[in-house]
Amino acid sequence: MSNTSQMIKGQLWVHFEGRTFIYESPSQKKFGKKGAGKAMSGEILAPMPGKVTKLLKQVGDAVKAGDVVLVMEAMKMEYTLKADVAGQIETLACKVGDQVALGKLLVKIHESKS
Amino acid sequence: MAVKKFQRIAIANRGEVAVRIIRACQDMGLETVLLHSEPDVQTRAYRMADKKICIGSAPTSESYLNIQANITGALAGGADAIHPGFGFLSENADFAEACEKAGLVFIGPSPKSTRTLGDKVKCKELAKSLELPLVPGYEGEDQSVETLLREAEKIGYPVIIKAAAGGGGRGMKVLRNSQEARDLIESAQRESQSAFGSSKVFLEKYLDRAKHIEFQIFGDATGRVIHLQDRECSVQRRHQKIIEEALSPSLAPDMRRKMGEAAILIASKAGYKGAGTVEFLLQDGQFYLLEVNTRLQVEHPVTEMVMGIDLVKAQILTAQGEPVFPESQMLMPRGHSIECRIYAENPYLGGVPSTGLLGKVEWPEGPGRRFEYGFEEGDEITSYYDPMIAKVIVWDESRSRAIQKTKRVLRDSIVFGVSTNIPYLLEILSHPEFVQGTMTTRFIDKNFSEPLKLPELSTAEKQFAENCLRKTSSRQVESSVSNSQSPWQTYWRGV
Repeated sequence: MSNTSQMIKGQLWVHFEGRTFIYESPSQKKFGKKGAGKAMSGEILAPMPGKVTKLLKQVGDAVKAGDVVLVMEAMKMEYTLKADVAGQIETLACKVGDQVALGKLLVKIHESKS
Repeated sequence: MAVKKFQRIAIANRGEVAVRIIRACQDMGLETVLLHSEPDVQTRAYRMADKKICIGSAPTSESYLNIQANITGALAGGADAIHPGFGFLSENADFAEACEKAGLVFIGPSPKSTRTLGDKVKCKELAKSLELPLVPGYEGEDQSVETLLREAEKIGYPVIIKAAAGGGGRGMKVLRNSQEARDLIESAQRESQSAFGSSKVFLEKYLDRAKHIEFQIFGDATGRVIHLQDRECSVQRRHQKIIEEALSPSLAPDMRRKMGEAAILIASKAGYKGAGTVEFLLQDGQFYLLEVNTRLQVEHPVTEMVMGIDLVKAQILTAQGEPVFPESQMLMPRGHSIECRIYAENPYLGGVPSTGLLGKVEWPEGPGRRFEYGFEEGDEITSYYDPMIAKVIVWDESRSRAIQKTKRVLRDSIVFGVSTNIPYLLEILSHPEFVQGTMTTRFIDKNFSEPLKLPELSTAEKQFAENCLRKTSSRQVESSVSNSQSPWQTYWRGV
């Protein structure tokens, strides 16, 4: 059993008794977490780095929660990204063919109050 | 049959399969030329190959799928043959033909057999003429979305749509009703175009409690076709295999004999030469021919482990016109072998791809343990290519022992820098349905549709991590003062 660890780009990777995990010490203050930021309601962030292959909605379009808004491709597989709230498309921060980074804000939906 | 020995073989692939082919060439005393894309200079295959030739930029259409670039590269590298591996151009008859024209031997079946068996539509026609059982479906030339929708309706939902030129789950979708069918058909056509360069698809009735069982076939230089037993690959997610084993735990001797005969029949009719796989679905005691893969398969190692053979070596010997698997060898399966595909993905986020710089990578070597990997510490896993970064293969005397051993090996495997599906594989290997061997192709959908829950860290884990953190911080201070030899500093330039 080889227990070991390694610091990679500011993250501590740990392998301990058969399990690998990234350790964040509660004693360390985190300034701006790396990787995917937390999405606010109505925001669609890129869940992985990849390419935008299809946009199904345009600015101003009405959407329901669960509607597919865009399609991304990464590692030769397609992933559909859906609206988490009902409302109107406020911003489209990407276009078809864009190579986007993990956590990038792609779409903003103005939530309709009902 | 005239024997023509090769001097140097070009490899038109990347990752772990490129390493696998280089190993076989090294064992046979042959030189290798790796045909690689621009970013793939930082891979294990690149470090192992005798010669390397860059054939284009990162996108697959510019490099690994570019026929002319591969041919030009192989000629420039002084190769006399090309091994295509799997995926990319391995099932492309035009590529095989272009090789021949350029005076290069394509290590694989003839363009004619690939056109017959590799085209899923023609393959079905041949199977029909041989009265082999097939899943009902539509494989017509009319590829308009309207026609496909109408045909799906006719077959009756659920229907599965597949890329005619493909394999490996790309472009494959299950259509459950007419509402969602249109989007899924278009998505399948796009994926198929992007992965295989052709948007042609076909439809099949979706069997919802079937097992995926396949036979390894091999046609030697004299035209004799044999099978090298079967594999079961029912553990699939989005039609991509995750765990494979040999032999299948689901076949009675009589069924195994019948399916093996069917596999040999269709391959012989197509004049098959080299390694190939005949895939079947088995449901309610009935088997159906699914497709023929005219290439080496990702999961070929489990067959090699139980049969005690080297399929890549056999492919090269066959391409040289030499005999393989003499009848006096008496090939018999022994024990059980399991392969787990290690994907760079986050199992706690439903399997989204994980990319980045690889840190420490350690595979726990031992008897009956085999590790096929294409990347090492300091290599970058990018979003341009397939997420499979390694394969862990285990052999033991029985299936239950092999399962136990696989779990231990996975727990002791270390991959830092990108997340992997190892926690997910461990859950699958412990599931009662898998342990009993009764899993079907819906096993993952049924039991693992939700992302894994990230377990809380135990006190021991936290303590160990805190200790590491303290040591790391002090080491970092030291190294910044005195040590300029750290490999990380070198690797981080240009990242």
